[in-house]
Formats: sequence, structure tokens, C-alpha cells
Amino acid sequence: MNACATIALLGQPNSGKSTLFNALTGLRQHVGNWPGKTVEKKEGSFTHNGKEYNVADLPGSYSLSANSDEEVITRDFIASGKADVVCILADSSQLQRSLYMLADYAGIDAPCFLLLNMADVAKDQGKTIDAKTIEKKLGIPVIPFSATDVKSYADFYKTLERAVSKNERISVDNLEKQYEEIKGYQEIVNLIPENAIPGYSPMWLAVKALENDRVVMAKLKESLSAEVYGKIEKLTADKKGAVATGGCKFAWIDDVIDGAVSSKKSTVKLGKLDKIFTSKIWGKPAVILTVLLGLIASFIPALPLMGVGQGILMLKAPVAAGLSSVGCPEVVRLIVTDVIIQSFSYIFQMLGFVFGVTLVFGLLEEVGVMARISYVFDNTMGKLGLQGKSVMPFLVSFGCTMGGAAGSRVIDNWGQKVLTIALAWAVPCGAAWATIPMLSTIFFGPSAVFVIIAILITMLLHMWITAKIFGRHLVKTKDRYGMIMELPPYHKPKWGALFRYVFGRTKETFFRVAKVVLLVCGVFWLLSYSPNGGNGGILYSIGVAIEPVTKVFGMPWQLFLSYVASAVGKEGAVGVISALYSGGSYGAAFTDAMSGGADKANLSTLLLANVTKPEALAFIFAMTFNMPCVVALAATYQETHSAKWTARIVLYYTVGSLLLAFLAYHVGLLIF
Amino acid sequence: MEELLTLLKDGHARTTELLAMELNTSREDVERKIEYLEKMGVIRKVSFNVKGCSSCTGCPSKGNQTVCKGCLPEDGFNNMGQMWEVV
Repeated sequence: MNACATIALLGQPNSGKSTLFNALTGLRQHVGNWPGKTVEKKEGSFTHNGKEYNVADLPGSYSLSANSDEEVITRDFIASGKADVVCILADSSQLQRSLYMLADYAGIDAPCFLLLNMADVAKDQGKTIDAKTIEKKLGIPVIPFSATDVKSYADFYKTLERAVSKNERISVDNLEKQYEEIKGYQEIVNLIPENAIPGYSPMWLAVKALENDRVVMAKLKESLSAEVYGKIEKLTADKKGAVATGGCKFAWIDDVIDGAVSSKKSTVKLGKLDKIFTSKIWGKPAVILTVLLGLIASFIPALPLMGVGQGILMLKAPVAAGLSSVGCPEVVRLIVTDVIIQSFSYIFQMLGFVFGVTLVFGLLEEVGVMARISYVFDNTMGKLGLQGKSVMPFLVSFGCTMGGAAGSRVIDNWGQKVLTIALAWAVPCGAAWATIPMLSTIFFGPSAVFVIIAILITMLLHMWITAKIFGRHLVKTKDRYGMIMELPPYHKPKWGALFRYVFGRTKETFFRVAKVVLLVCGVFWLLSYSPNGGNGGILYSIGVAIEPVTKVFGMPWQLFLSYVASAVGKEGAVGVISALYSGGSYGAAFTDAMSGGADKANLSTLLLANVTKPEALAFIFAMTFNMPCVVALAATYQETHSAKWTARIVLYYTVGSLLLAFLAYHVGLLIF
Repeated sequence: MEELLTLLKDGHARTTELLAMELNTSREDVERKIEYLEKMGVIRKVSFNVKGCSSCTGCPSKGNQTVCKGCLPEDGFNNMGQMWEVV
């Protein structure tokens, strides 16, 4: 038997290295650790043509930079000369990308050959690769290969023998020409003598120095004089070298495969929809139209649940009659009808919209449209002084402002984080989205759509103004970066998962909303209840006292109290309205409406009789742009760690919402 | 490569396709360069692994995160594309 040879397998993860290793060695392999490291060491052996070969399966890594233990172990093993030949694997189906390992290897003093693995995949893609042309340019043996195909191993063994006997290095002349274009490269190479670190050429070391490879720099420091090392350190000080050297390597790769790879030329083309979404002029209108259509479409799946909500009201009369007939005290009867039944009617109407909005926007996310929406708004984010990733907290805030505040954790710049949270508060949350359409349909019927549009426009303006006000103190222009986004391809929604999410969320909302609305409604009803049916009740006295002030903002005292309650949680606002307008002691107008007979049980009619449209508009705006809820406030403090900024944001939103109410009321007066 | 980085730093968002169009190259070329820049630590992937909210009570927790079914899909947003930013 001849003396044995050692081959090392080198390749990026998923290059098919393990398949090759297993096919070569079969059962003759053992696994251990590299000395002193936790990195797995796989070795094996095989015999071919009477010659024994040892195989070292080097750890898979992206490159030979010192980014990880794996990479350092790999390159040290190669440079040590322990391998008689290194077998470099590349993925034929994506040569441009996978030849990077080869380019990073070039300059290490160890013989090698190149396997263009997955030749079958490349063939299926319609690519033909001329290995001979590549071989000529590289100066090392190159063969097409398929680790999973038994037939391609005959060629492999032949090439292996050829590589061992020829002992050839990658020809680096063209690569070096590329490197010479880099500022400072030539000076560094001239400072590094041959064999400064055995196994590596001065070119390779100079490139790694430019890339700020810490291991190489440490070794250079050891082997060179302090003066020479100091010069190198100075030349590589700008830490930008990696961008330039990477560019050279890729340019060299393109040169190597130029004329050797033919594939159907695919020019970059955007899909029709993406052309619109990524267009500078049409992107924003397209997104706004999409969101609006989405909101309008949400009304359709909302209808059945709204019907249930209306239907619940019909229970009032029979239940009240039933309770009276069994001699139930009036208070209990009123609590059952005015608090419980009335609240559930509202709760189901709110759930309708939660269901609709979640379904429609969940669908948009599934299909891939939400990613386009966030893409379109990225540039606007930039203008507001925010990063593109702020879009995620905003989107989450449509569901829950707490989630938005917590989501802002992805932003590491504190000022931008605070600004993101401050702006996320302006995004109406799930509870607001349940309340706004419900109240709007009561007051404005089909024109509710316009209220929703107005809310959305106000939201955008609010965020813009807020960014201007807070941004100056929080964000500096230099903190802003661009961003790359890989948009997901459009695909069919997974209906099962989508409906599980929508129903899950509707269920969660039901329990949360039911708790809050019932509790708030109950408390406010009791506070406003007066047994003699007159204008008693504590709240009535307080309400009438503050009404002159609340009227300034366009809100009767009942609505103003609902507004105050909405700061605790927006669901609560509905509970208060429900209690105060259906409660036993309400005032002359209310009593008149009560005695109206036919409409007795219909709160919507009562509301319409007692609240004017401008007042309703004022309330809807005040409630929507009030602080989201107490828990969101806590989350904001938790994320910003600043009581000062949290207080500022709260104050700003309270004042802002009252101002908006004032404006909405006066605009309403002009319209109605 | 420098041109790519310049585009990334100018404050505008671009998709991989748009970068390829502006640099007059292929999508694959942009993708390999993004991969390289990411491995070399020049840019980094933005991960949106914050699921739900930390301050909700009564929501089930997975690992050290609270998963709030009321706020987010169970696995967060998983079809929002991939973002990178310059370090």
C-alpha cells in the first residue's frame, strides 16, 4: 500500500460537504473535538486504487475571516500544510455567491481543487457550466460534481489523484490586480515580508488586515517590528476595508465565471403590483387606497355580529316584562336591562368590527400586502426622523398600544425609541377601532366611512405634527439610516391559520371588552341612579356643574365623562355612554324620549335625540386621540425609563385630544 | 460594493430588486453582497421577535416573552419581509 494522503473538505454550509464526506468514508469515520475548542472535528478515511486517504471534514463556514472559531480553525488547519490537498466545494446553482469561499482562500499556500457541486440542480435550472474554462483561469483542477450522484465519483477520484500529484495553487494574478485598486493595499503588502505568518501569502494577509481580521492583526503584531506594525495599523484604521476587499473578490469571481456559465439571462423585473407600490408617485396613494378599501371591506364580515348586537336589544322588553311579573325590584330590573343587556348589545357590535378588521388586515398580511405598506411608509419614516423598522411598532399599535410600546424595543437609539412610542400613541388601537365604527354608524349611518377616513387622515397629520414637536429634542439627523427590504412574494393565504388567529383575537377581545364595559357601565350607572327617577345621582350634579367647560370642547357632560373614562381603557367609554344615556335619571330630554313609547328600548334613538352630530364627532375624535389606556402608559414608562418623557407624552395627548375635539365640533357645526 | 453601501446610507428604503435596478446588476449579485456585508458585520438583519406585550397580565407566556393573543398573531408577523440596516 502507498503512503497515505490527507484531503480536507472545505465549503460553506449547505454546499453538500457532509454528503460527500459520508459517501467517501462510509463507516470509517470518527467524530471528536478540535483541540481546546467546542467545535466538532470529523475525520474519516477511504482507500482508492490501493492508496489510503484520510479525510478531514472542516467546519462549514461562510468564509475564512476570523468571525468565528470555526473559521479560524479551518484556515489554520489549511495553512498548517497538514492537508495534501484541499477540496473546495461550491454550489453550481449559485456560483456567483458560493465561490466566495474560493476567493477568500486564494492566497493561502495550500494545493487545492474545486468541486462544482450540485451540477444536477444547475442543469435543472437551465445553466450550463464550462468547468474547463474556469480551470484555465484558476490554474487548479475544476470538475462539475453531484455528491448525491454515484456516477460522478469516478471523475472525483481521478481529479483528486491529479490534484495530489500536481500540487497546484490558485492563480491569484487577476485577483491581486483587483486588490491593487484599493487605497493603501500596496503599502501594506510591501510592509509584509514573505512567510511573515507561514502558510499565508502577503497578499492574503494584507487583505485580512484591511478587513480588520483580529487574529491576523494579532499575529502580525507578534511577527513584525513595532514600527512596521504601527504603519499597518494606521493604514487600516478607517475600518472600511472589508467593503472594498469584498467588492474585489466578487469582481474576481465574476471574471472567473465570465464566459463559463450560460443561463437564461433574467433581467430584474418588478411585478405589476410592486411597480405601483414601489413607485415614488403612486406608492402612497396605492397604499392609502388599499387601507381604505380594507376598512370598508371590514364592514362586511362585521355585519352578522352587529346584527346579533342589535338583536340582543330585543330581549329588553320581554326580560323587563318577565322580571316585573315575578315581582323583581325596579333596581334589579333596570340593572339587567340597562346595564347588562345594553352592554352586551354594544359589546357584540364592537366585536363585529374587531372581527372584520382583524380578518381583512390579517388577510393583507398573509398575502404579502402589509409588507408593501410598511415599505411605502419607510421613506416617510425617514422624514419623521425615524428608522424604517419603526413601522412594526406602529402596525402592532393598531392592535394594542402596549404591544407597540414593547415592539419599539427593536430600536436601539433611545431618542428614536421614545419618538416611536410617542407616535404609536396616535395610532388608534383595537379598542378604539371597535368603538369608532360603532358610534359612527349610530350617528352617521353609511357616512361612517367618512368619519373613519377623517380619523385616518387626522392620525397621519397628528403623527407628523407630533414628530415635528418631539423630534427636535429626540432625534439628530445623523441617526437616520437607509434600509434594505426584501419583500415577500405574494402568496395564497393559509385560511385555517388566519381564521384561528381572527377567532382567537375576537374571543380575547370579547372577554376583555365585556369585563371593562360591564364594570364601567355598572359603576357609572349606579353613580347616576336615583331611585325617585328624578334628576338625582351624584354624577348628574357633577356633570351639570362641569358642563359649561366641557361644552367648550363640544361635549355634553355625559360624553366628557366617557372621554375621561377612555383614558383608563377605550372600551370603557362605551360603558359610560351606555350607563349615562340609558340610566334612570337623565333629564328632561331623556324622559321625553323614554316616554316616546315605541323607541323605548332603542338606545341609538336616545343617543340621536340627545346628542347632536357635531357633539358626537367631537367625542369620537377626543376619545380616539386621548391617551390609549393606563396599561399603555405603564408600558411607555417601562420602555422609555423616563418619567419626564412619559408625563410629557400624556400631557401632550390630553391637550391634543381636547383640541381635536374642539376642532371637530366646529367643523361639525359647519357641516351639519 | 461601495455604491451599494452608499445607497444603503442615503436614508431611503429600497427593495432588493430596486437596488439591483439602480446598480444595473442582477438580483443575485445584490443578494450575495448583502449576505457578505451582513457576515462582515457592516449591516445587520432587523429581527422583529418581540411578540405581544410585556405588560399584559393574564396572557400566556412562552419562554421569557408574554404572548398576547389579543395583540398579535401567534408567531408575530411572519410575512413582513426581511429588513437590513447599516450598523
